[in-house]
Parts: sequence; structure tokens; C-alpha cells
Amino acid sequence: MSERVDLKEFIGGFVVEAEDLLATANACLLEIDTAISDGKSKPKAVRDLFRTLHTIKGLAGMVGVEPIMELAHALETLLRTADRAGGALQRGAVEVSLQAVRAIGERVRLVAEGRPVPAAPARLIEQINATDASSQTIEAPPEIGGEWDARLSASERQQVFLDVQRGVPAWTLVFVPSEDRAARGITIATVRTGLAAIGEIIKVAPRTQLDASGKQAGIKFEILLLSTAPAARLAEVIDADPATVVPIAVPVATAAASAEPVPELEPEREADISRIGRATVRVELDRLDELQDQLAAMIVSRFRLERELAAQHARGVDVRKLREVTDLQARQLRDLRRAILRVRMVRVAEVLEPLALLVRSVARTSHKEVRLELDVRDAELDKAVADRLLPALIHLVRNAVDHAIEPPDLRVAGGKPRVGTVRIACTELASKQLELMISDDGRGIDRDAVARRSHREILDNQQLLEVLATPGFSTRDAVTQTSGRGVGMDIVKRVAVQELGGELALDTQIGVGTTFTLKVPLTIAIVEVFSFECERQSFVVPVAAIEEIFELGDDRIEPPARPTAEANAKRVALVHRRGHALPLISLGARLAIDKGTVAKNALVIRHNGELIAFAIDRMLGRQEVVVRPVDDPLVRARGIAGATDLGDGRPTLVLDLMELGDLGERVGA
Amino acid sequence: MKRLLIVDDSKLMRDMVAACLRPLGAVTFEFAGTGLEAIERLALAGFDLVVLDLNMPDVGGIEVIEFVRAQDRLKTLPILIVTTRGDDASRARVLDAGASGFLAKPFAPEQILDEVRKLLPA
Repeated sequence: MSERVDLKEFIGGFVVEAEDLLATANACLLEIDTAISDGKSKPKAVRDLFRTLHTIKGLAGMVGVEPIMELAHALETLLRTADRAGGALQRGAVEVSLQAVRAIGERVRLVAEGRPVPAAPARLIEQINATDASSQTIEAPPEIGGEWDARLSASERQQVFLDVQRGVPAWTLVFVPSEDRAARGITIATVRTGLAAIGEIIKVAPRTQLDASGKQAGIKFEILLLSTAPAARLAEVIDADPATVVPIAVPVATAAASAEPVPELEPEREADISRIGRATVRVELDRLDELQDQLAAMIVSRFRLERELAAQHARGVDVRKLREVTDLQARQLRDLRRAILRVRMVRVAEVLEPLALLVRSVARTSHKEVRLELDVRDAELDKAVADRLLPALIHLVRNAVDHAIEPPDLRVAGGKPRVGTVRIACTELASKQLELMISDDGRGIDRDAVARRSHREILDNQQLLEVLATPGFSTRDAVTQTSGRGVGMDIVKRVAVQELGGELALDTQIGVGTTFTLKVPLTIAIVEVFSFECERQSFVVPVAAIEEIFELGDDRIEPPARPTAEANAKRVALVHRRGHALPLISLGARLAIDKGTVAKNALVIRHNGELIAFAIDRMLGRQEVVVRPVDDPLVRARGIAGATDLGDGRPTLVLDLMELGDLGERVGA
Repeated sequence: MKRLLIVDDSKLMRDMVAACLRPLGAVTFEFAGTGLEAIERLALAGFDLVVLDLNMPDVGGIEVIEFVRAQDRLKTLPILIVTTRGDDASRARVLDAGASGFLAKPFAPEQILDEVRKLLPA
């Protein structure tokens, strides 16, 4: 019975959930910050934020990460005070909260990397503790009427009061749960999700049902909802008779019959938040990578099987039955690969989440007023693409806020709205690409100024982009604090074009704004490779294809046995290795780039069951790269599996040594 | 086969509690992510024990206890409260509301196992 349970095993799960919670915390803080700018408060966001920190604290405690626990505890205490005082936070409190959330985030990342987590910064803790959150108390909360008054907090009553005053009807809905309804998939959870999509739920209270004789007969839920949706729609969600659904009369409503028109609630956002985590399982990326590695290994072994079959067939063996099986297996592997790729897709909306915080902080330091608009709907992207793309997007958005958007006074003077807009929109193209447009309504790029600085003639936007993407080029002489240390346009172009094999375009108009359009593939293939040099050129081969790497010593190499002209040209020799002689092929010769450099290393592959060594100059390293297909017919050749970028901006060929080995057979080695 | 309901808004916490309780052997675990869901499940089905978090998005743990105890058929259902608010005042409030047991987070796996063994009817 003494089965040991170690909660440290849950550390991976902790990282995943903590990152989620931190994203929620940041979203709440941004919502509160926006509300402050509009002179309002967001009691619900403060309450959600409080709960989020409380959960982080509890989880950190369970897996034993004390610094995170300490930070979360301090912030939680601050937020509890704020919540009890009516849910209003001052700018200073938002600022210190953002810092604390960032400090927690940094520590979560360290936990994820398995590195030691530093103690909570004492100064920050002091600052949090010294922050006054009880600054605003709602006086004499208004009465809603009925039984709700006793059940609602001051800030909740305030919210109902304000919304009803604006003309949004309030409803008390009754949902009666039953086994029958549960079997049909109608539960309090689905009812809440359904209602949150068409209104705002203020409170749900469980009640005991009594039958005619006063005996207990099950339960019901009473839901206080603010919604402009018609009664019939609400009745449908709670599976009730529409006749029973009538709005409640809130006494204050009459006072403001002439108030502003009914504003649009933001149902979709609410719905999104409540939908998260419903029908999804979160998986650590490592596990997915593992799955993909296994799949890659299976594909490699399938190729071996295929070659073995071909060899048997060549020897006159009947392999038709086997061939049927391998063909079936090939299709199954392809389907499996597709299924795994789909699992790796992430929502673009989620990928872009950090940008809202970025815009806020860059706008503050550069004294701009900027709004970030996202129009990404349900678009999805491979996690691997998203990870590579995000730094490029961060740069474009940072540039837009820091350089493109004018200071508020200048904008007003120029007849533009005071608050600038940075907008990201994306569309999925039929070509399995995602088109992202990052636009701003700022000052536009001055083509003539760029031409003067670069001493080049610039006739159109494409040439302009080329100049801007030249490494080291900047149109600003004064290096600003925010962009000075960022990546340049050259990096953006490298990520989009070289690394991801996509496209980058620019459209700009002085005084009106700038739009960058990126087209990137929805998915990419990532392969672990060895990089090496051969005749002073870099190449890579998939790690999975290599049996062994060893250093070449002259003494162990035997020149070609039959020095025919043909064999000589291909430089097929023998090398002695652990008592075996294996054919040694000069890769430089095989690729027809031989300049007579002395090879120092050999890569060994297994080809049709036999080992073959390829002589190369020197090994460079081992890394993960994005492999893209080679479309250029001039480069497309046997033995070349694709192209990649090792980080120097130049295309590097991915070699298929199996195919290059095949070429050797034909010259009769 | 005993039926346990684990109520917590954090999936990770639900998983951890279930992992800690696995040595119990013949039990089935069911899960609820909010207080309201817990109330619904308890009203519709028979459980042998509930592990309940205090801090939840809709109705808190205290409200859940009070509501459950007001139901004639749930008056004796063992309720173990598991909470990050481990101070004496919280403990008193929770037990006063009708909880059967109280455990502060963080806890060691054996601690929750002991508590549940004590509360689970034979």
C-alpha cells in the first residue's frame, strides 16, 4: 500500500498551467488598464485576477517553488483588498502588478528549463505590500431589488445598476438540472457557456426545490444575467419554457430611459474565455516533439525496408505481397504525419497574446497613445512556425509603435485621431500559407530620406524594403531606447523569407501609414541535422541518416582497387574501420565541387544493408533546422533533399546521402 | 467501488489530488471544475466523498458546503476541504459551515491520503 507519489512529477503540468494563468493575468491587467484610461473600473477583471494569482500560489506550493508562491501571495493580498474595496485599481497598482506577473513568468520559465529559481525580489515584494489598493470605495451601493441584493457584492450591484441604466435588461433565469438534461449534454457548465456568449452573467445561485407538501425535491440554479438577447433565445439556452423568461424590474432603470442607446456587449470575448479548456487537452511541446521524432524514425526505417525490398526484387525474389503491405504502411504513415501536424497547430490569437503587453509598454516609454487591433478570427498555425514568426512580429509591432505612430499632439495637429492604431490581420490562403498584415496609421516611411541615407536610388516599395532589410540599416539617427536593441528589418526578412520560405512585402504612404505583408507556410518540417563543410561549403544531413562519424587517417585509406578512369573520377576508395573495409566516397567529387581539399572526417550511412563512408572536410555541429523543399529546377537534383538556413542568411543544402550512395553504384564501385 | 468527486478549478490540482489518492485502490474519481458543477453532480448522483477547493470562480467552497448540508440526502456526505487559505480562522469557518475535514495546501501525498482514509465510510 506504500505506493510513493511524488508531486515533482507534475512540474511539467505546472509550467503549462502557470503559463496559461499568467496569460489570463496579463489579459485582466490590460483590461483594467484600458478601463482606467477610459475613467472606469473593471471589478470583474480585478476579481478574476485575484483568483488567478490565488491558483498560481496554490499550485506553486504543491510543486514546491517557493519564490513564485511568495510573489503570488503578495500580489494576491493586494488584489483581495482591492476586490473588497469595490474592485478599482489605480495605475500604480496596475504597474506593480504587471511587474509581479512578469517576475513570476520569469521564474516559471526557469522552472521549465530545470534551472534554479532565484528568490522573490525583496524590493518588489516591499513595493507590492506598500501599494494602496483600498483607494476607492463605492458608497451606498444601489439596490437591485428582490432577493439578489443580499447575494451580490457592492461592485456587482454597481455593475448591474450601471448596465440597467444604459438600457441592458437584467434577467433572473432558472435552470433545473436533471439526469435527463445531463444525458442530453445540458448541464450548468454548458448553460453558463451558452449564456456568457450572449450576455454577462453576474451571479448564479443554487436553490433547493420544494414540492407541494414542502418536501425537498431536487435543486435549481438561479442566474442573474444582463443581456440584450431576446427571451426566446435565453429560454433555449436554459432549456425552459419561453413564457417563464421575463426581465426583472430594477428600480433604477426608469431614471435613465433617455440614456445613450444600448451598447453592444462584447459577447464573443466572454465566450472565448469560458470556452478555453472545455474540449481541449494541453500537451507539453516536448511530448509532441517526441512523437514527431518517433514518426521521423519510422519514416527512415520505412525507407530502409523499401530499399531492402528493392534489393530482394533485383535478386529475383517475389515481393509483391510484401509490397502491398509497405504501400499500405506508407499511406498510414502519411495520415499519421498529417494528424500529428494538426495537433501542433496553435491559434494565431493565442500566439499574438504577448503583443498587447508589448504595445502598452512601448507606447508608455515612447509617450504615444496606441491601440492594438487584432483581426485573426480562428486562424491556426504550426507551433514551430509560430515560434519562429513571433520575434519578427514583435519587431514590426515595436517599430510601428516606436517609430511610425506620431506623438498624440502631432497626430491631433495633423487631423488624425489622438490614439494611433496598429492592426494585425490574417487570412489563410489557398496555397497553405498564412498572410499576415501588420499595418499602422502612422507617418509612413520617407522614401527620399531612405534613398539619401543609403545613397541608392529607390523607385518603388520593393526597392525600399530591400534597403531597409540591409543589415544594420536604420532610418533613425538617434537610437531609441526601445528599438535600439531590437532586431532589425534584416532579421524580419530573414525569418519570413529565408527561414520560413515565405514572402515579405511593404506598402507605405507618407502621412497615411505603413503595411507589412508577410506570407508564411502554415506548417514546416523541422529536422535535427549534422552540419559540416565540404570543399569550404556548408551542408547538412539529417542526424537519423547517419550511422557513425569518424576521423580519417591517411594510413587506413586504400586507393581504388581497379584504378579505372571512372572510379578515379568518383574517388571511390576503401577505408579500414574496426576490421572492416568500407567504401569511401569523396563527397566533393560526388557533388562535382572537388577542389582537392584533404578530407578529415567521414560520415557513415547504411545503404542496402552495407555501410558506406563519405569523406568530408570537417564537422560544424548538430542543430535543429527548418527544411524547405527546393523548388528551383536548377538546384533540384538527385541527392538534394531540400534547403535550410543555418542562421547566416545563406541557403544551405540538405543532402540525401542514400541517393548520393545510389549514384555510386551506377558508376560501378 | 467508492465514488469520489474532486472539485478544483485547476486541472493540474485535480490531477495531483487523484494521483495522491491512487493508493486507495478501488475508487473511481470524478471531477468538477467549479462549485456549481459540483453542486449539480452531487444533486444528481451518489458520491462517497468530496474533495473540495475553497476558491472557485462562481460559488466558493463555503457556499457549496452550506448548500450541500441544507440538502436532506447530503447531510452526512464526507467533505474534505483542501485550500491554500490554511489559517486557523479559515479552518474554523470551514468546519463551522459543515465540512468534515480540512487540509491546507501545500500538503504531502500521505497527508491527504490519511485524511481521506479517515473520512471514507467503510
